[in-house]
Amino acid sequence: MDPFRLLELLILVAVLVGFVGLLLRRNLFLKVLAMDVMGSAVVALFVLVAARAGLRSPILAAPLAPGAVAAPLPMADPIPQAVILTAIVIGLSIQALLLVVITRLARVDPSLDLASFDAGRLDAEGRR
Amino acid sequence: MAPPSGETLLIGWLLLPYTAAFLAALLPPLARGLALLCCLATGAVALAIQAGALPASLSLLGPYGVSLQPDGLAAPFLLLNALVCGAVVLDSWRRTLPGPFLLLLMVLHGGLASAFVAVDLVSLYVTLEVVGISAFLLILGSRSERSLWLALRYLLIGNTVMTLYLVGAAVVYLAQGSFRLEAVAGAGAAALALLLVGLLTKAGLFLSGLWLPRTHAEAPAEVSALLSGVVVAAGIVPLLRLSGVVPALAAVLPVIGLASAGLGLVFALVEADAKRLLAWSTLSQMGLVVLAPAAGGLYALGHGLAKAALFLVARRFPGRDLAGWARRPLAAGVWVPLWIGSLSIVGVPPLLGFFAKAGLDRTLPGPTGLLLSLLTVGTAAVYARLWGAPLQEAAAPAPAESAWSPGVLLLLAALVLLGAAEASRSWSPELLPAAAKANLVLAAGVGLHRLLQPLRHRPWFRLPDLEAFPDLVGGMGVVGAGLLVWIR
Repeated sequence: MDPFRLLELLILVAVLVGFVGLLLRRNLFLKVLAMDVMGSAVVALFVLVAARAGLRSPILAAPLAPGAVAAPLPMADPIPQAVILTAIVIGLSIQALLLVVITRLARVDPSLDLASFDAGRLDAEGRR
Repeated sequence: MAPPSGETLLIGWLLLPYTAAFLAALLPPLARGLALLCCLATGAVALAIQAGALPASLSLLGPYGVSLQPDGLAAPFLLLNALVCGAVVLDSWRRTLPGPFLLLLMVLHGGLASAFVAVDLVSLYVTLEVVGISAFLLILGSRSERSLWLALRYLLIGNTVMTLYLVGAAVVYLAQGSFRLEAVAGAGAAALALLLVGLLTKAGLFLSGLWLPRTHAEAPAEVSALLSGVVVAAGIVPLLRLSGVVPALAAVLPVIGLASAGLGLVFALVEADAKRLLAWSTLSQMGLVVLAPAAGGLYALGHGLAKAALFLVARRFPGRDLAGWARRPLAAGVWVPLWIGSLSIVGVPPLLGFFAKAGLDRTLPGPTGLLLSLLTVGTAAVYARLWGAPLQEAAAPAPAESAWSPGVLLLLAALVLLGAAEASRSWSPELLPAAAKANLVLAAGVGLHRLLQPLRHRPWFRLPDLEAFPDLVGGMGVVGAGLLVWIR
């Protein structure tokens, strides 16, 4: 099997595992962690897409001497790398915000079980 | 010095809300004025686009850079953004607002404006995340445990679908080597399905939009007005743009729209809470917006203005329970906006909603047009439940704030004046039968309401609760899997 396809498949399995974790886990913290698994898989996917053309970072190491020709090394595609850098920053800030909210919610139920927040049960307590 | 070019003006306008938000953090007394300035600038840009005074497309940083399209499709949404945000600022003019409300409002405003004009997948991702995070922080405003949970739910769902959206974007880039929307057409069904799950969930459509009613109903009134008025449109605009360039989507989207309209309508008819009724109606109306890209902008404008006004007056409802609604009189400052806003959504002439609905009717083929009329009968039956309350006669003992909110007045004036402008622009004898039909539909809706009213006391007259967290994630999964199988 083509190694590119194999890696792509593994990454998509990781996305799916994250999604199933989000669906099935009862603990809020684990849900956020499952979302992070999905996020990391997407980062891996973009890195893989960028590495399709080559592995070397597309940065010139030293200025070339006049007249010299750069060695034709296969470079990685910079576009997906630039895109995923933005997405990593956004993902990190969202994780931070969610974890702050979870620490506040832990005052309602320290075990962070979904059932104590969902299905309107907080209505009765939250509007005390 | 030469006057600045159209491009410079556009970039300055897109940067203005963020600069203003930064300035408001340093100089809080200026915040209200700056927020209004941002709204005025967006309104001016929307009018300039209509007049054709600005470049219709803009490409920054080369072929892989940011591409923007401030075109006719974006104009009504930009006007909606300006009016709803402006109304929220005016509405809270005399009250002290919780924490950084105005600052977040400006960031949200800027994010929405960028989302309405962005036409590449990556810019869309960034702007949708900006909108999501600022809406999350706005929902958190009241700091109650309930709003903590709702905000967490909103961001968790939003970020999950945007992750799926990014997978779709990666597949598009792999197949086409570009992030532009046109590239999606040739990227295959899987990429389209993943992108759609993200956009449909953000737009609050069908099963993937089940997060919407509880979030919109439980948020503070100003935030509900923003969420139901404009924030959902951030997902709608890319969907409309995509359906213009991807033939496979143009076949799928109307079906999802009709399903969403039906789902929202049935739940709104059974609902027992006034704010939740409005929120379910948003889910239903968004389904109608995506039926036809050509008429969707005007429809979203009409609906957003009316729904924002309704949510803004919801703060002054004497109670949210619909069971005793007809026995609780409403003050004139609530009663009049309630009637005008809901009549516009039902599509009664000469309000803006009527022209939006007539425009939508013209672009739809026969059977879909008939379905639209049936759905409108249902919508009239939904809002007829809010019309039962009598008008309060004697003036109440002087309330702490004035009886009429300037923000609500702005929205109502926009509904009437834009309706008049639309009437003078698109006047034709064909509108007379449409007006007769609208009145017929209204009468049928009131009749349906009378028919349903006795059933509401029966114990079997209720629907399952589909809004628990696993249901939301499951709904997204079902929509995604369905799209994967369906799209060819």
